[in-house]
Amino acid sequence: MVASVLIVGLWWLIAHNAGSGWVQLLGDLVFGALLIGVVGPFVIVTRARISLDSAPGDGSAGLPVPLRVASRTRLRVRPVEPPGPDVFVGPGRRRAAADDVVTLVPTGRGVHRSVTLDIASAAPFALQWWTRRVRVPLPSALYVAPRCGEAQPVPRRPDDGTGDMVEQPRAAEGLPRGARPYEPGDARRLVHWRSTAHTGRLMVREVERPAAEPVTVTVELPADAHAAERVAEGALGSVVRLLQGGVPVLLATREPSGPVLGSVPDRRSAGRRLARAVAGTSAGTSAGTSAEGGDVASPPEGGVGP
Amino acid sequence: MNIIDVVRRANQPGQPEDSIRLRLACLAAVVVAIAACASLGEIAWTTASGAMVLIAGGTAFSHATRARPPGWVKVLVAVGATAACVWFFHTVSSPSGGITSVINPLTILLVAVLVVHSFHVPTRRDLLFTLGASAGLMAVGGALAIDLRFGLYVVAWACSTLWALTEMWTSASGGGRISASGLVLALVATSTAAAGVFLALPAPVVSSRVSFISRAGSGGSISVPGSLAGDSGTAAQLSRAGSTTSRIRVGGYLGFAGSLNTALRGSLGNALVMQVRAQRPSYWVGETFDTWQGESWTESASVPRRPLRESSPFLLPIPVGDVPFGQSDLQTFYVESQTANLVFHAESAGELWFPASKVYVAGDGTIVSPLGLGNGSVYTVDSQVTSPTPAQLRAADSPFALPADVQRREVQLPHPYPRAAALARSVTANDTTTYDKVQSLIRWIGAHTHYSENIPPLPAGADTVDEFLFGNRVGFCEQISTSLAVMLRSLGIPAREAVGYVPGSYNPITDLYQVHANDAHAWVQVWFPGYGWQNFDPTAVVPLSNPSPGSTALHDIGSALRRIPPVPVVVVLAATGLVVVVVRRRRSRPATWAERVARLTERAGRRAGRPRRPSETLGEYAARLDELAGPAAVTWSRLAASVEASAYGWHDPPPSTQRALIDEARRARVRPRTGADRAAPVGGPAPDASLVGAGVRPAGRGIDEGDEA
Repeated sequence: MVASVLIVGLWWLIAHNAGSGWVQLLGDLVFGALLIGVVGPFVIVTRARISLDSAPGDGSAGLPVPLRVASRTRLRVRPVEPPGPDVFVGPGRRRAAADDVVTLVPTGRGVHRSVTLDIASAAPFALQWWTRRVRVPLPSALYVAPRCGEAQPVPRRPDDGTGDMVEQPRAAEGLPRGARPYEPGDARRLVHWRSTAHTGRLMVREVERPAAEPVTVTVELPADAHAAERVAEGALGSVVRLLQGGVPVLLATREPSGPVLGSVPDRRSAGRRLARAVAGTSAGTSAGTSAEGGDVASPPEGGVGP
Repeated sequence: MNIIDVVRRANQPGQPEDSIRLRLACLAAVVVAIAACASLGEIAWTTASGAMVLIAGGTAFSHATRARPPGWVKVLVAVGATAACVWFFHTVSSPSGGITSVINPLTILLVAVLVVHSFHVPTRRDLLFTLGASAGLMAVGGALAIDLRFGLYVVAWACSTLWALTEMWTSASGGGRISASGLVLALVATSTAAAGVFLALPAPVVSSRVSFISRAGSGGSISVPGSLAGDSGTAAQLSRAGSTTSRIRVGGYLGFAGSLNTALRGSLGNALVMQVRAQRPSYWVGETFDTWQGESWTESASVPRRPLRESSPFLLPIPVGDVPFGQSDLQTFYVESQTANLVFHAESAGELWFPASKVYVAGDGTIVSPLGLGNGSVYTVDSQVTSPTPAQLRAADSPFALPADVQRREVQLPHPYPRAAALARSVTANDTTTYDKVQSLIRWIGAHTHYSENIPPLPAGADTVDEFLFGNRVGFCEQISTSLAVMLRSLGIPAREAVGYVPGSYNPITDLYQVHANDAHAWVQVWFPGYGWQNFDPTAVVPLSNPSPGSTALHDIGSALRRIPPVPVVVVLAATGLVVVVVRRRRSRPATWAERVARLTERAGRRAGRPRRPSETLGEYAARLDELAGPAAVTWSRLAASVEASAYGWHDPPPSTQRALIDEARRARVRPRTGADRAAPVGGPAPDASLVGAGVRPAGRGIDEGDEA
């Protein structure tokens, strides 16, 4: 700024004393460049359109979520909600990296049906940056799960000393039920060589896990957003731990439409449920996470079990 | 945020600039600017070359140390820049005699700052400062540029700067590039904005009085101090016409001498005599004549030229009869070829910057140079111009009056001129004021005489005025103006003959009036109480309004456009339009066979009066067309199924099948059912069943007939 004022002052001094048409012409050229340098980016940013080519449906708080975007104009994009780092998108030099991926780093859980971006440009002369805030709808909702917190121990149900001993298979296998043809993705150790030799096709054992009583994880989010985030993180940690132990999990949350109780077969669905969860009681208990255990065949790594 | 925070924030170091291309572009702009100044003599070429080498080295050093600039470099830059500024202010504060005493140190200051600064240019902002300084350097050069050759440097500098600015965007945007069309658009927009400002702004005005340029050129010396170079050929004047190459070499005009013979006017040619930078166009008077002898004007012996011994600037005495007030009008005269040693100026010169220790000044305001004025001579005059309105001149009445002897001289006539006097009285019979009488006589002359330089010399002893007014009434400016002066004198109105130059053509780029040899002119000065001597030109109406660069440029553009032959332009425009149409049609051609089939389907539907609705998929649309054709028609649905299988199912048929599908779509017609053909399905020939759903290919990579061929 100081340099600009000095230059303009110098210009005035020269033009005022010389009265030369060349000085005026040069000043007009400088003015024209400044004008286009200031107004050009405004026009470009106003007319710029940015669209999302693809976006994942799930993400996790604190972890990057890449969005592939398309723009016909070179733009600096800064994700605002969810936040993320600056990135340049749009046509670049041939040798420059084709980097049309905007990365979001959500700070907390939530469901995002659109992203808010600050798009900026200083083209063509990089003299002035103009920024415009745009809201771009996502192709599908982005469920941002909370961070995976520390699992809570599942309270044990008192043992009445009755009942049969249950043969407890290893969590990863279950009880053999038969054999079936191999499918891509089957574990190598499940190959049943005998039936393979018999049928001439690669066969694998089909195992069945014993039906277990699901554990209900009830999530009561407090009104305070920060505290709610911590609670959700703990709930996800518990659910993940239970799922890793092969325990069916029922998750009780409150969503905008009301209390919801449903099974969560995997971490992804648990994350989505917790992303949708809002503050309030879901089962009439106090805020926090509680787990009520059923018959769990094998406690994984201790802490959670019948 | 207080001011300290603002300053601190503004001075935060930026990111190191990694772009070598940007640095090269800035270097190019600086080198061009230094070369421009060197070409104008503002700095020596050796100095300029050394500066260029140092700046190139400094640029390389800056790039190498951009991540961690050494601390001693910052100290060096600060000390160097401060020293350069101190030297500059010390230099310009000392007594000076010309604008070069400011411009040259300013050039050296800027070059020195650029040299020192080039060693510490780590960031993009520093490079922007370099560009700005190069613009300042170009402006300094432009201040002294008086011809269009400087335009080459302006173009080179503008290209370098444009390159630098686009590279700046490339660097700032992480490798973004400006397309060719975008670059052209930016260039056109910048040029348009610059041209708009250039056209809108008035011409630059010299309103400061720091100092003005004066330079002795190649005019040589004058044998008799205070005499006129034009007098050296007096003996030969009557026998030959004026010529720029003649012995007296005063622009070919014979009147820049001790006398003005109105019987002769040679062919003056179109040689450029001088260029004038002035705040407004004026009659730039060289000398005046007060004694009319029937054929020639002479200067009165009672108006001697006295030497004025001062250093430049000379404070000139107020001419007899003029008033000591008026609007300042600064004029700088750049002499381009040998001319008279008269110091031309607008009326009532008050101050003169001249490259001599003395000048000769006469009581009528004539200024004579002791040096010959030739190519390279430059001087500046500040005149006090009175610009009264007609109403003011009509009401001119002041206790000031010409001294009696001057009054006598200015109404002097060699004989009574009875016919001219009678004519003057009859023309001005209804006029009561001097101004109206002058205007009436000018109107009469304009209505009853004709201008021509091709007239035979007057017979020996003939009176110019009588011959002109009562002869064939054809003559040139000396005869026309003399006739007016004599008629005015016959009415008792003080009038005299003035010779000099009219402004000539105006160049809006250089802001200079280009005065040619044939702009030499003679006109009449009439004295008005309270306003002094006022110019009246009965020969031609010279525009006295200040022409703006815009109007001049538009006029020139209009003239240029009028000269363009229409037929080639129409042919070129038609060819361009044809090319545009062909290119647009080629671009709008379908890119894939699937698109082609889809378009043929839509075309068939349109012809059948059933255009495709925006909400319809191609399959739905094809089904509607088949329904239109008949209950058993499936042609369009089948074609649409192939298209959709290609577009969405990645099942692209082989090229031969694609071609067959296109042919089928082209041949097929949608004929709405009539009573006669309701029994049979319509929609074209029966399709080949093997075409349906064949092939695997994404729609975007399909080929059309042309590609396959």
